[in-house]
Amino acid sequence: MAEPLRPLVVALLRWTDARARIDPLSGEVETDPRGAGPSEADRCALEHALRIAEAAAGRCVAVTLAPEPAEELLRDALACGADAVLRVDVPSWDSRVPDSGATTARALAHAIRTELGEPSLVLTGDHSADRGTGSTPAFLAAELGCAQALGLVELSYADGELLALRRLDRGRRERLAVPLPAVCSVEPAGLRLRRAALPSTLAARTATIPVVTGSVAAEPVTAHAARPFRPRAKELPPPPEADPRLRLLRLTGAHEHREPPRVVVTDDPAEAADELLEYLRGKGYL
Amino acid sequence: MRDRAGPASSAVTVAEPERPQFDAIVVGAGPAGSAAALELARAGHSVALLERGPFPGSKNVYGGVVYGRILDELIPGWYDEMPVQRWVTRRQTMLLDGERSMTVDFRSQSWGRAPYNGATTYRAEFDDWLAGHAQKAGAVLVPSTVATRLLRTERGRIVGVRTDRPDGDLTAKVVIACDGVNSFLAKQAGLFPGDQAAHTTLGVKETLALPARTIDERFGVSGHEGVDIEMLGCTQGIPGGGFLYTNSDTLSVGLVLGLQGLAKSGKRPEEVLAELKRHPSIQPLVRGAELVEYSAHLIPEGGYDTMPQLVGDGLLVAGDAAAMCLAAGIWLEGVNFAMGSGMYAGRAASKALSSGDLGALREYRGLLESSFVLADHKKLRKAPELVLSERVQQRYPGLVCDLVELMFTVENPKPKPGVRKLLRASAKRNGVKMRELARDALTGLRSFG
Ligand SMILES: Cc1cc2nc3c(=O)[nH]c(=O)nc-3n(C[C@H](O)[C@H](O)[C@H](O)COP(=O)(O)OP(=O)(O)OC[C@H]3O[C@@H](n4cnc5c(N)ncnc54)[C@H](O)[C@@H]3O)c2cc1C
Repeated sequence: MAEPLRPLVVALLRWTDARARIDPLSGEVETDPRGAGPSEADRCALEHALRIAEAAAGRCVAVTLAPEPAEELLRDALACGADAVLRVDVPSWDSRVPDSGATTARALAHAIRTELGEPSLVLTGDHSADRGTGSTPAFLAAELGCAQALGLVELSYADGELLALRRLDRGRRERLAVPLPAVCSVEPAGLRLRRAALPSTLAARTATIPVVTGSVAAEPVTAHAARPFRPRAKELPPPPEADPRLRLLRLTGAHEHREPPRVVVTDDPAEAADELLEYLRGKGYL
Repeated sequence: MRDRAGPASSAVTVAEPERPQFDAIVVGAGPAGSAAALELARAGHSVALLERGPFPGSKNVYGGVVYGRILDELIPGWYDEMPVQRWVTRRQTMLLDGERSMTVDFRSQSWGRAPYNGATTYRAEFDDWLAGHAQKAGAVLVPSTVATRLLRTERGRIVGVRTDRPDGDLTAKVVIACDGVNSFLAKQAGLFPGDQAAHTTLGVKETLALPARTIDERFGVSGHEGVDIEMLGCTQGIPGGGFLYTNSDTLSVGLVLGLQGLAKSGKRPEEVLAELKRHPSIQPLVRGAELVEYSAHLIPEGGYDTMPQLVGDGLLVAGDAAAMCLAAGIWLEGVNFAMGSGMYAGRAASKALSSGDLGALREYRGLLESSFVLADHKKLRKAPELVLSERVQQRYPGLVCDLVELMFTVENPKPKPGVRKLLRASAKRNGVKMRELARDALTGLRSFG
């Protein structure tokens, strides 16, 4: 008898060196593959994926679009309980293909569809540690034609329903019922990736990591002209006051009313904490 | 709760495993552990190499020079593939006193050619490279995993380790503890006789970035040539010494400070290091460099007389875990002793496993004694005590600097005094009795000679 189709939960993990060195003169970024791995947000996404796959009796697959040294990250995912992993290798790790959310999403969507099937849920961290635009999951949702819920702080799955909580300004929260299939990105909050057990860690050390070659059908970037960016000059009429002192005050805004900065002068930790809490409360964060 | 390694942890008693998961477990993927795992894996035994850091070398600190001769045996042709910063072609021993210094400077261009002598290398690169060889030979590296306790049968035989992972017991026929200085595993096995604090120093190091060309100019080298400077008299009265090594585009400058002396002094190690960097002989070398890393680590400096028992029932101890770092003033060599002892531990374990007689583990000590590892330590057993003595630390640098200063200060119209007279005057000025000087010279000659 054929096995019933289990919902596919994909955790996308971006491989980055969070401690890359940047040459202050040339701007050159120096990375060390040994120190690279998934961001905290991606680790959190993997934990969500593992839990949701368990709750939905589904299959959790960890996927990364990265070169070979990133396989360590997939081994860790296997050790934590992922049912399978996939590395999408892009042969053209060349500078002509822009490392953008759109191209990454296109390559990932293609690989997921062709290698794993239609996903019920794709989870990823909210921002990558290096590029930080947070745009990949949105592009991916568009590629896969499914719903998106981004920047979540909580995510739970029960009785076929995916519920999410998102942070809003002024300390407010938005509760969402996310229709499936969906792409969700999570903040590094609320959950920590489980520590892998020793037997699964040992098994993962020698596991074969499946690799597919991703197709990045992106137009190479062509530079038509190279000149420094010069914002257009904006004309500002001078303040109307005749007195130069008043004009200066107007320009600098020196005497305008502002909320003074709050200086905490106590060295008693409890008092300082109270002060801080009151401040956050006043600002609507609590 | 996660199990942790620590001074209070003790071995756990377990039943004799029916089928151990590995032939051998090596704890610690430092130079000792990787050498042991490499030997075992090459001999066809199954080996797990446990490392607490996310990759080998990620947690490790040292000054900067590896003497690779023992690698001729372990990885022939090593010098063509080892990640090297610079080959040491210039060695200096510097005595500092106040604003003065006296340096013995030796240069040999042949050290910059195959088969080479010493090289500066970063541990994150070197340890990873060596562990890579063990992995290629078949060892299973298990990173981010701490061995917290020994697993011991009722009869006292070591049959594996507990790790800090869930479901984390791992069994083997032999365990090799290469977990570095202050080895909790060797202590759990009861192999250390007593408190190690008196024989342990704290090493602190700053890695300072400078352009390669600036390093070449300041240190009088070029290309892949590098410099190794060992210092005495730079620790503000705390027993210890200093070092300065050149990497491609960084310098490693640091101190080794006796733990008890440091605690008694009430000084912070980084303050003592900052003072060294202000010394007129050091300041021009490090000027303008950008601090990229500060690190600290313990060093077992007691030598031969403070080593633990090296063999337990089902257990071998190698490298710093067995206090095998050679710290004898002009020498600070630990990595080569770790690789050597690890290699012999691997060999002894391999023989015991192949013959099925774990009693053969006892051959480990013999292998070490007939090699440089214990031969050098035995010969230099009095050296650590002499080098860390109050006279060598606090009075001799002044004596030497006084002597040299008096010799080279021209006091015309007075005629030049004889060296013997100057020596006596310098000794008196620094509170050194000629008898003590002669006795130390003899001990030095016996140790180093
Ligand atoms: C400041 C300083 C300067 C030095 N300078 C030099 C020098 O220039 N040249 C030289 O040759 N030597 C030098 N040494 C000495 C040298 O670093 C050591 O002798 C050498 O590293 C010993 O190697 P090892 O493999 O025995 O131990 P380590 O290099 O300490 O390796 C032990 C390994 O075990 C791992 N580990 C520890 N506990 C556990 C556990 N419970 N579970 C899992 N893994 C564990 C550690 O993470 C580590 O990777 C210096 C040391 C210091 C501190």
